[in-house]
Amino acid sequence: MILRRAQYELAGRVGGPFLASLDGWKRTLRARGRTPRETPFGPPLESLRKLKEIMTAHYFQARYADGAVPVAWVTSGFPVEVLRPFGFHAVYPENHAAMCGVQRLVPGLSDAVEALGYSRDLCSYARTDLGSVVTGQTPVGRLPRPDLLACCTNICQTVLYWYRALADHFQVPLVLVDTPYVYGEAKPHHIAYVRAQLEELVRVAERISGRRADPEALAAVARKAKEGTDLWADCLATGKSRPAPWTGIDGFFHMAPIVALRGTDTCNDYYRMLRDELRDRAQRGIGGLREERHRLLWDNLPIWFAVREVATLLATRGFNFVCTSYTNAWAEAGSRIDPEDLIGSAADSYTHIILNQDLPNRLGILRRLSREYGVDGAVLHSDRSCKPYSIGQVDLKERLAAETGIRVLLLEADHSDPRAWSREQADNRLTAFMESFE
Amino acid sequence: MTRKEYIAQQRDRHGRKSIAVLPIHYPKEVLTALDILAVELWGPPGAPRGEGAGRIQAYVCSVVRNALAFLSSGGADAVDGVLFPHTCDSIQGLATLATDFGGWGKKSFTFLHPKGPPRESSRVYLEAELRSLVRELEPFAGRSLEPDRLAAALRLHEEIDECRAALLDARPRLAVADKELYALLRRGEWLWPADHLAELREARARWPAGPVRPGVPVLVSGYVPEPPALLEVLDAAGAYVGADDYAAVGRRVVRATNLAGDPWQALLARYWAAPPCSTRSADHGERIRHLGALLDRSGARGVILHVLKFCEPELFDVPVLRRAFAERGVPVLYLEGELEAGLSGQVVTRVEAFVEMISAGRAA
Repeated sequence: MILRRAQYELAGRVGGPFLASLDGWKRTLRARGRTPRETPFGPPLESLRKLKEIMTAHYFQARYADGAVPVAWVTSGFPVEVLRPFGFHAVYPENHAAMCGVQRLVPGLSDAVEALGYSRDLCSYARTDLGSVVTGQTPVGRLPRPDLLACCTNICQTVLYWYRALADHFQVPLVLVDTPYVYGEAKPHHIAYVRAQLEELVRVAERISGRRADPEALAAVARKAKEGTDLWADCLATGKSRPAPWTGIDGFFHMAPIVALRGTDTCNDYYRMLRDELRDRAQRGIGGLREERHRLLWDNLPIWFAVREVATLLATRGFNFVCTSYTNAWAEAGSRIDPEDLIGSAADSYTHIILNQDLPNRLGILRRLSREYGVDGAVLHSDRSCKPYSIGQVDLKERLAAETGIRVLLLEADHSDPRAWSREQADNRLTAFMESFE
Repeated sequence: MTRKEYIAQQRDRHGRKSIAVLPIHYPKEVLTALDILAVELWGPPGAPRGEGAGRIQAYVCSVVRNALAFLSSGGADAVDGVLFPHTCDSIQGLATLATDFGGWGKKSFTFLHPKGPPRESSRVYLEAELRSLVRELEPFAGRSLEPDRLAAALRLHEEIDECRAALLDARPRLAVADKELYALLRRGEWLWPADHLAELREARARWPAGPVRPGVPVLVSGYVPEPPALLEVLDAAGAYVGADDYAAVGRRVVRATNLAGDPWQALLARYWAAPPCSTRSADHGERIRHLGALLDRSGARGVILHVLKFCEPELFDVPVLRRAFAERGVPVLYLEGELEAGLSGQVVTRVEAFVEMISAGRAA
């Protein structure tokens, strides 16, 4: 146990950063002597190197987490602030699945679970994660075995079915935070229900970690989480500048710490650095694109395996995604957190996640983002794998276009599975969409 | 009599309001006690009526797509309101899409039942949610929920469940085709409960238990027995539904609850006593034990998993169930269906081949 803990600490403090540096060094070497490619994008963000270092360290440390500290696998919308004071190492299967998506590993991983009877119509994140569990294949070397599965239905109910499958596999406790959907206003007994479940969660966390809940520690993590959320919001807000100092696509990658490291100093230090860099770029007129001619809004998850090709296609004609409803969701998640009442405020905050609220609320967010970021158009990703995010988009498209006067495109794809993607068809649609601006 | 005529008759004769209810689990006893007729909306099956279906992507289940088309084309205008239970993400999305963005202009209600196995928090929440729903329904119904009426409604629904359970349990000895039996059972989706009970009683008298019928019993688990032609195909192939685990039918037959004492507590007890269902995120072990008991009781020789395409709660349970049945050596046929489409020749052939196989006693 002591040795394992030492390995874990060493991996996080030394091994991970060293690996990231090594990787950066290799890239520099490979790039040396090469003629820089012509690109429609602006100069890369300096912070990117730090992001890689943080996330490499996080996943490298995770390899040594089981046996060293309690490990929780958590859904992206889970109030992780409640777990951190108990010393849990949090693993985000969705974040891991996104990495698999970027590296186009999903078809192979999905095949493995389709052979077990899982339908291809199920969420590709779930198939990817379950596929990784049964095959042991992962781009991060190894994922630690969980001691606890922590699932919150505020992003979808899919996560509950998915985590039950994980619980069957690992035979570990599954804690559920079931968040009643908000139509209009959340009812008091809905919030009370979520609060009661968070209190149950504390008792489970105490039992598994062997630590007593410390109100001071809970408040400290809550303060950090709230600050992290605010910093992330500041980063996103720089996209209002013309030109935007980065692209929405950058935002998809830079959101990793607010998802996976929320409530930690590492997360907040990183976003301070990123915010300062973005503000500096905005002040100096350095854009995410070399020439920003049109500003767009993206709705729904990214198409991880094609994120760069879609962005490049658009960027070559001066179209930049300056805001996305998805990355914005992480700027709102912690805004209601009150460090003086973590449990109560988390109940309220995590019930009001974008995907747990009705369509008028969603339209309001899209409308506000369109206005505040001054967009000329929007692409709504109709995501086969994410029904809660996608149902209603046909109406949202019409309403957003009618109410704001912007052009809106509905683009069908999948967030992780390239088998549900037709590149030519998508290129045609995107090209026609861009031509409509001329 | 069509549903529309029946709804009108209930209004004219009894002054009853009616409410369309999306699948699956809802407190029907409360509606009965408030004198509200529940008319369930399972799609409806067939091609979508009107253009509303196009407002939801084709990769969403047909129950939801058809329901939106039906509601927005005026198909449910005969009822006075709609109730959306918290069945899945898609029905949850439909509830806001139809009511907020057009498709349903009358009163709408939600019943956000808790997910997962019972916990202290979910028990407390369920009662609060039910009481909240009642508060919203009372002005709609024009009456308050009196404890005596709730107690009477509970007794009525318990009796209905006893009759339904008796018919399902006696299935091998009933000289009636599945199609006819299911037509009767599914009339409970829209008849006033007392009328349904009368029909059930009459059927029990008409179909006395006789000798064990010829044919191979199978256990069918799925969402809803659509299209009904599947039952005919089974029958023609020499099999019958010996055990039912359809969400629309068997999973809503509550057996043996204690109705004595406070009717509210009895209502809660009935909710928790319902057979395990994927849409309530029942514990896998509990589901497997339940299905095992159904297999044992019915002597079913095979299992048909009849899953609605894109139905996530059901689809996620399929691997677990397949594994459990495989461990018992029980052959499984997996059928994926949609409401729009009829039964394809391919499905018919697969059902026939499956029945032939289990009739010959071969394991899959």
